[in-house]
Amino acid sequence: MTEQSKIRNFSIVAHIDHGKSTLADRLLEETNTVDKREMEEQILDNMDLERERGITIKARAVKLNYRADNGESYVLNLIDTPGHVDFNYEVSRSLTACEGAVLVVDASQGIEAQTLANTYLAIDEGLEVLPVVNKIDLPAARPQEVKKEIEDVIGLPAMDAPEISAKNGINIHAVLEMIVRDVPPPKGDREAPLQALIFDSQYDSYRGVVVYMRVMNGTVRPGMDVKMMASGAVYKVVECGYLHPKGMVPAEALGAGEVGYLTASIKTISDTRVGDTVTGAENPAAEPLPGYKTCQPMVFSGVYPADGSKYGDLRDALEKLKLNDASMYFTQENSIALGFGFRCGFLGLLHMEIIMERLEREFNLDLITTAPNVVYEIDKTDGSHIEVYTPLNYPDPMEIAQAYEPYVKASIIAPPDYVGNIMDLCQFRRGEFKDMTYLDQSRVELHYEIPLNEIIYDFFDALKSRTRGYGSLDYELIGYRPSKLVKLDILLNGELVDALSFILFADEAYARARRICEKLKDNIPRQMFEIPIQAAIGGKIIARETIKALRKDVLAKCYGGDITRKKKLLEKQKEGKKRMRTFGTVSVPSEAFMAVLKMDE
Amino acid sequence: MNELKPLGIYIHIPFCRSKCQYCDFYSIGGSRDRRLVDNYLQALSEHFKETGALATDYVVDTVYFGGGTPSFFGADNLRRIFAELQHRFRVDKDAEITFEANPDSVSDNLLRKLRADGFNRMSLGVQSDHDDVLQKLGRPHTYEQARTAFQQARACGFDNISLDMMYGLPNQSAEQWEQTLTHVLNLRPEHISCYGLKLEPGTPLWEYRDAANLPSDEVQADMYLNTVEILEASGYRQYEISNFSKPGFESRHNLKYWLGDEYIGFGPAASSDFAGKRFTNNRDIQNYIRGVLKQDVTILLECESIPARERAGEYVMLRLRTTQGISPEEYEKQYLMPFAPLLAAIEPLAAREYFVQKDGRWILTPKGFLVSNQIIVRLQEAQEASEPLAKKR
Repeated sequence: MTEQSKIRNFSIVAHIDHGKSTLADRLLEETNTVDKREMEEQILDNMDLERERGITIKARAVKLNYRADNGESYVLNLIDTPGHVDFNYEVSRSLTACEGAVLVVDASQGIEAQTLANTYLAIDEGLEVLPVVNKIDLPAARPQEVKKEIEDVIGLPAMDAPEISAKNGINIHAVLEMIVRDVPPPKGDREAPLQALIFDSQYDSYRGVVVYMRVMNGTVRPGMDVKMMASGAVYKVVECGYLHPKGMVPAEALGAGEVGYLTASIKTISDTRVGDTVTGAENPAAEPLPGYKTCQPMVFSGVYPADGSKYGDLRDALEKLKLNDASMYFTQENSIALGFGFRCGFLGLLHMEIIMERLEREFNLDLITTAPNVVYEIDKTDGSHIEVYTPLNYPDPMEIAQAYEPYVKASIIAPPDYVGNIMDLCQFRRGEFKDMTYLDQSRVELHYEIPLNEIIYDFFDALKSRTRGYGSLDYELIGYRPSKLVKLDILLNGELVDALSFILFADEAYARARRICEKLKDNIPRQMFEIPIQAAIGGKIIARETIKALRKDVLAKCYGGDITRKKKLLEKQKEGKKRMRTFGTVSVPSEAFMAVLKMDE
Repeated sequence: MNELKPLGIYIHIPFCRSKCQYCDFYSIGGSRDRRLVDNYLQALSEHFKETGALATDYVVDTVYFGGGTPSFFGADNLRRIFAELQHRFRVDKDAEITFEANPDSVSDNLLRKLRADGFNRMSLGVQSDHDDVLQKLGRPHTYEQARTAFQQARACGFDNISLDMMYGLPNQSAEQWEQTLTHVLNLRPEHISCYGLKLEPGTPLWEYRDAANLPSDEVQADMYLNTVEILEASGYRQYEISNFSKPGFESRHNLKYWLGDEYIGFGPAASSDFAGKRFTNNRDIQNYIRGVLKQDVTILLECESIPARERAGEYVMLRLRTTQGISPEEYEKQYLMPFAPLLAAIEPLAAREYFVQKDGRWILTPKGFLVSNQIIVRLQEAQEASEPLAKKR
């Protein structure tokens, strides 16, 4: 165990792309936590997906040993956090386990929407926030202006902030010294009853659940019986220790102020909830730690196995992912068209995309995802009030007295040149302009109140393309407002496919209906008969397309030498069909469902 | 003595005057290098010897010289091969002996020699009656040459001649194709094959397919249905998706492929279905020759034993190409699989005129042939989901 005065627990917060993961890499190198020859880029982002996309999705912890200029040795626990707005929840989880946060700001881009959002999260948690100006070696760097921006906009002293280049390893030492100097050491009583906050957990097929935690009070050691305070489950600790980028390092004990893991042959995933407190079974703490506010999924979507018989596999996969990602929510759902599946809640579309990709890659599942929707609220004519998570439960129009949709307060930061474009976009998305502030001559912040539904459909992409990539976005839910909503149904060959239904703003129904019919026409292959595609509201058809009958699918020649080839060809055709779902007599490839949700303008 | 089993022999002649723009068969364009030809002849005769020893309880009732261009290879070479074959295999006196020919390499001399040696069927590659289209396809002949070749063959005593035709060609309209058919029907062949042009990756035509102005799938489908109608009206019966003949002049050799009968292929890229195994020879002529003569490379490119269940799938796939179609009794008896699941898939298709039932057999209609890939897949899916019939004691 390390003496508390020699421990510093910190996070790095930043806007996406400002160099957070690169700085983490350099800190690991500078402290010789990882050998130079073992070093790889984004070393903490060990999920394939994270490396491919260059983003951090999961929070992750690592222990660094550092000998400071004052000659003392320190343990620095770095808890890495994601940068995208969808993952704010992960950020706040990591922050609870720290006493300080290093705020990385890009020397040419300056403050962006998520810089602000993440800084406020850290300040709310009572953390010491330490600014660092990164990418000073770029030609467009303007460190002095950016420092002034940090002071003016956020109100943090920044004039002494280290000017660094994480990419080229410039001034990394200054960051480490700053952490030792300015991050407060943890305070906690190692003799008190155990209180450890679970900030993440992961399933390992050999050890069972691995719990990642920050010990707040007391001490935990192998052999000790511990209790999960929320679930009441008791386990004997098999191993505890520290987290190293290349794996886990067992230790004799973990004391208050330390960050690490424990394993206890835990097989029941639901016993170890993120945010729960681990305490001693014999000498329990009087109260659990505050934990986390439960996070609200914003976007819901139906998730079905492409092959109906894989329902059980999908359920197991979701349970395992849930362990790793507490922000995900799922419940069983039954569609007439797709059979058994799940209604899943996500923090945003990126989160949804990532979960889908993880399910497909890590669990080898083929999935059909229905168009995402937000949660609507409805006053019914019988006086009751309901929440609608899925179009499947949308009431008959006759029963609706008033519908409500969620709104967010969106903060957009961009250079002033693009204000016109941004305003056009927000207006088109039914946004209500609130105010506009110049952060300095080169950056302006706009506030809009916009229906969440408009944000979740490629709003960010549209913003990026209208601001040449300079625009940044952050948003938070502000509540529900009355709205005119309708449910749009899709009929294939005259039969309603419930999985294709969705809820939208009434004035957009005609245009969207037409586009969806066209998209479906392009994405459903021709079949042996003509297929009408219709979009309807209530019983009224408002758009229609036709997929013409397939007339020619034949191999003209098939002699001795062609038989093997032809067999392979037909096998391929069968494989293709297996990835399709059949509605009545119409086969629909899973991509068609995705195409409906990707509505470019 | 056991009764002899029938066997088909295919001999690949991978030599052409030039490569056609659409062709992806294995052949060498332009060359008849004497040494290569001699080596090839030697390899074939060695391969006959080896294989003939394994087929002593068979009688060859069809021989097919395909290509490439057998006529371009020359009468003497073909005769030598045939003589070797007869030396190593028991060839029935009434066997069907077919050779493929292109109009530019047919001569009186060739035809007389082959006819005298027992070749009794010629398959002539005509493809089109439009010289500009022939040129575009890279065919080294005119339509006039094709007509002459046909008449020469008649004069030399060939009373079983097939013409190979193609539709769906660059710039071709439905009317033009109909005219083409009318023209070639005037020649009164015994047999006509009509193939829809298929774009094959790796061919020159594939590369410029977008600029080739090919008729749409819709137009090609109409062309096909029209073909069946015109040929039937002129006394040609459709017996396979792309093949039509006067009664009694069906290609006995090609039928073996679709009826699941046994055949052995010689030469590079040739395939066999023999003694329960399907195999394909090495696709390169040099490797084939080395494989046979020096035995330091393998002759076989692939070889698979086909389990009974897969044979049942092939039955559906291949029989449905023919107008014999599939028979519930035959199917259940041969493969011990229930026909009922197939019937469940067939009936709704029959209601929409993709199938007809004749003498208890289910046969695709011309409209059904056009989408036969889709239909075969449906039937095979039904088949794969079904359990074998309980064995009768």
